[in-house]
Order: sequence, then C-alpha cells, then structure tokens
Amino acid sequence: MFDKSKIGHSFPPFIIEVERGKIRELAIAIGDDNPIYQSRAAAQEAGYDDVPLFPTAATMFGFWGNTNLGGELLGLGLNVMRILHGEEEYEYLALIQPGDVLTGVTTIADGKTRQGSGGSMDIVTMETRYTNQRGEPVLNAREVVIVRE
Amino acid sequence: MATNTAAPAKMYYEDVQVGDAVPKLTKGGVTHQQLVRYAGASGDFNPLHTNPKFGELIGVGGIIAHGMLIMGFVGQMLSDYVGPTALKKFGVRFKGMTHLDDVITCTGTITEKYEQDGQGYIAGKVQAADQDGDVKVAGTFVAALPHRGA
Repeated sequence: MFDKSKIGHSFPPFIIEVERGKIRELAIAIGDDNPIYQSRAAAQEAGYDDVPLFPTAATMFGFWGNTNLGGELLGLGLNVMRILHGEEEYEYLALIQPGDVLTGVTTIADGKTRQGSGGSMDIVTMETRYTNQRGEPVLNAREVVIVRE
Repeated sequence: MATNTAAPAKMYYEDVQVGDAVPKLTKGGVTHQQLVRYAGASGDFNPLHTNPKFGELIGVGGIIAHGMLIMGFVGQMLSDYVGPTALKKFGVRFKGMTHLDDVITCTGTITEKYEQDGQGYIAGKVQAADQDGDVKVAGTFVAALPHRGA
C-alpha cells in the first residue's frame, strides 16, 4: 500500500557526466546505426558540434547516475523486483552535450493504490529534474511505475 | 563550407503537413543478446529482462524486453525523422510486453503544426507494434523546426 505522505518527497541529488561512449553504447544496443551517435568526427561530418543526445539517453542518467534508486524505492515500501514500467516522458529544455555534468533530483510526484482482480497495485509517478554545470534546467523526466503487491 | 552547430536543421517547418506519416521503422527480432547489451547500456539490470528463470518465476513466461528498448526504437524513428536535437517532448505509455523474436514496427503521424514566438513546432503521435499488430508503446512528441530560409 503506497504511503501517500511520501508524495512530494525528494531523494538526494545525484550527479552524472554525459559521456560520448555511453551514448554510443546505447545507440548500438538499440540497433541505431546512425553515425552521429558513433563518434565526434562522424557527428561533425553530419553538421553537429559533437555527438548529440539519443532521445532516450536520460534513462541512462537515471539508472547510472542514481544506482541507489532501487534501495530508495524499497525504503518507500515499493518492491522493485515486482516493478513494471507504465509511462515515460521527457521534456528537453536545453541542449545537452558530452562533457556536461548534470545534477538530477527525483521527486515522488504522485502515488495511489488500486485494487484489481489479481490483488492490489501501487501506481507511482516520479519526476527527475536535471540541471547542468551552469545551473540551467536542461531536461525533465517523468516516469510512472506500477508495483504489484 | 558547412558550419557546424550544436543542433543542425534536418528538416524545415514548411516541409511538414498535418496528416503526414513519419517514415516507419521496422526492427529485427528482439534477441536475448540485445537485452543483455541494453541492460549494460541503460543500467537497468532487472532480471526480468535478462534471466529467463526469473520471468517464469513471476509468471510472465520467460524474458520480457525492457519497455525502454521499445521506446528507444521509437526514438530512433524520430531521430531519423527530425534529428535528435529538434525534439522538445517525447513520451510514451507502455501497453504490452515484448518477447524474444518479436519484430517491432514503429509508426507515427503528424497531428498538429503551430508557431510560438516565431518558432515553428510540429506535434505527432507515435506507436510501436509487433508482427501481430499488438501495440507495445503509444505516445506523442513535439519537435521544434526552423523556417526555411530563416
């Protein structure tokens, strides 16, 4: 049962550096062979200053930037071994480039418990706001997870 | 000589009309190796996506692909279409589980075109479905496009 008093709770800030090699790794895993994600030279060939951010790269910021998220969710009583992903949304506020150092703060934006035929489930919305090394807001990520109890 | 910028234009506002289709993208069957690779890249090591025994244990019938991998396929389609730096918003709802060997096709349609403070925007809906037409993710995006000749 989700504890509604946790709505508004923020986890400690985490820091993640944007790395060309990780963008390349993500593009390869997805099977996107666009050369702009492979190297700075190839990105420049296509007119970019540097390797651009893959549209879903923020998922790496969340998991690799905050390797303790599972523990933090457990601390809220959410069993991360029974977690399913409901929704994911990104708002790209400003350009993010390799070498940028981002600070992410994840907040529990909403949560409720729903009774279904197979038992109850918690539906929790988390929002992570990222700022860069100049303190500029650069990206917001919103995620809805479903945890079966 | 071409000048490099942080966000070069891939297409222009004038080139897009409401109702246009986003060029579709079909991905080869999802493999176990791909999910292991994706786990390492993304940092999502939930055993549901890599360990077949775990999937059987919790009753989903073996390995399930990361939903974010499928969102990544849609991201690839949008990256090919408008370029990654043109995207302003991109969101999806996960509607179905993807299993090994599923062949995923991503499609999209432009639903809206508007200008705000001199900047052109397009909005569209996107989805990814398997070989049987079962929808895995459905969502929307907004991209900022420059005006031709601006």
